[in-house]
Amino acid sequence: MAVMRMGYMHVRVTDLAEAKQHYANTVGLYQTLEQDGKVYYKGWDEWDHHSVVIEEGGVGYVKCGFKCETPEDVADIERKAVAFGYPVARMAAGENPEVGDGIRVTLPSNHEIEFYSSMTAWGLEVGTHNPDAFPRHMVGIGAPRLDHALLWVDDVGGIEKFFMDCTGMWPTERVRASLDDDAHTIATWLTIGESNHDIALLEAPENKIHHFAFEMRGWSDILHAADIFAMDDTPIDIGPTRHGITRGTTIYFFDPSGNRNETFSGGYRCFRDRPVVTWTPDQLGKAIFYHSRELNDRFLTVAT
Amino acid sequence: MPKITVAPQGITVDLNEGETILEGLVRHGYAYRIGCRRGGCAICKVDLLEGVVSYNRPVADTVLTDDERSTGACLSCRAVPETDITIALREDNLRRVASLMAMYAATRTG
Repeated sequence: MAVMRMGYMHVRVTDLAEAKQHYANTVGLYQTLEQDGKVYYKGWDEWDHHSVVIEEGGVGYVKCGFKCETPEDVADIERKAVAFGYPVARMAAGENPEVGDGIRVTLPSNHEIEFYSSMTAWGLEVGTHNPDAFPRHMVGIGAPRLDHALLWVDDVGGIEKFFMDCTGMWPTERVRASLDDDAHTIATWLTIGESNHDIALLEAPENKIHHFAFEMRGWSDILHAADIFAMDDTPIDIGPTRHGITRGTTIYFFDPSGNRNETFSGGYRCFRDRPVVTWTPDQLGKAIFYHSRELNDRFLTVAT
Repeated sequence: MPKITVAPQGITVDLNEGETILEGLVRHGYAYRIGCRRGGCAICKVDLLEGVVSYNRPVADTVLTDDERSTGACLSCRAVPETDITIALREDNLRRVASLMAMYAATRTG
């Protein structure tokens, strides 16, 4: 099934000029295209044309795309998704600029998820010939790459099964109602084996996006990012701190439209045979904000 | 300088020109339930009981619909009072969290 990673995240922004300032100057992404009210960005350590798309008008999730190794992988996912019963449409090359053929699956939460196998190569900022460790003139927080997203959905168990059965992902951590084997799953963190999670799902009354995240190089970069947020007047939701879930270090912050972003680092190596971690609701404070062990007003209420 | 009164607590503070409801209340040392502070999540909606506000940024229709605006719903992180206003929080109360800020709120520091 060979899904490799979340390839792109596409969100709406109320004010394009302010969003461009945020994603280019604060987050430090590189603009590769501006067309039809949409702007396309990539991180310095990414090699494909884009990983973030912002579209003027409104706020919140439009869609995301997962890159697969081959067209056969996409076809395989298509067959499985159709058999699974979710609506699946074909996506033609060029519907998304610089993205090849693929499919579009609509989750019961109305989130559209695209799967594709080719995107125009753009190149790494440091190149591939005798490269330096990072770009000499990084901008803002210098986010290297898009890592994952957390979606608010109504049916965590069902959608988790879709990703497991049809894309080969597996859960690294879950929040469940109790430690019983048949306990209801409230939230799940799914991986294809590289990142600690490529997509996560949280049970919520509205189908929205909770956040999408950039992977940073380490804790010192997370601190540096917080300093940049202070200088750029970027509202911070929480952090720098650590998550209990995944052990990753984090800051949650908001783009100028209110979409939540994350700078994430760490986690642990994921293998299919690693036992799944389970958290119970009474420990949700520790699960989300490991140091303070308290939830804030915003984590379970703010989404776009 | 527009005055904002928060009902039913009856707390009244002066806002600076161009300051949003959220900015003004925070500057006076108060806290209430807020979210993204940028107009996208709708958590900071309050009810405008009296007065007129305008918005200093585009606000998405999904966050504040025309119907809501006409019945007085107001997005406090983006709303700038045009006149003296009275608002009511939704299932929330103002908390005085920074008495020093309250004491010196009238001082302009630039």
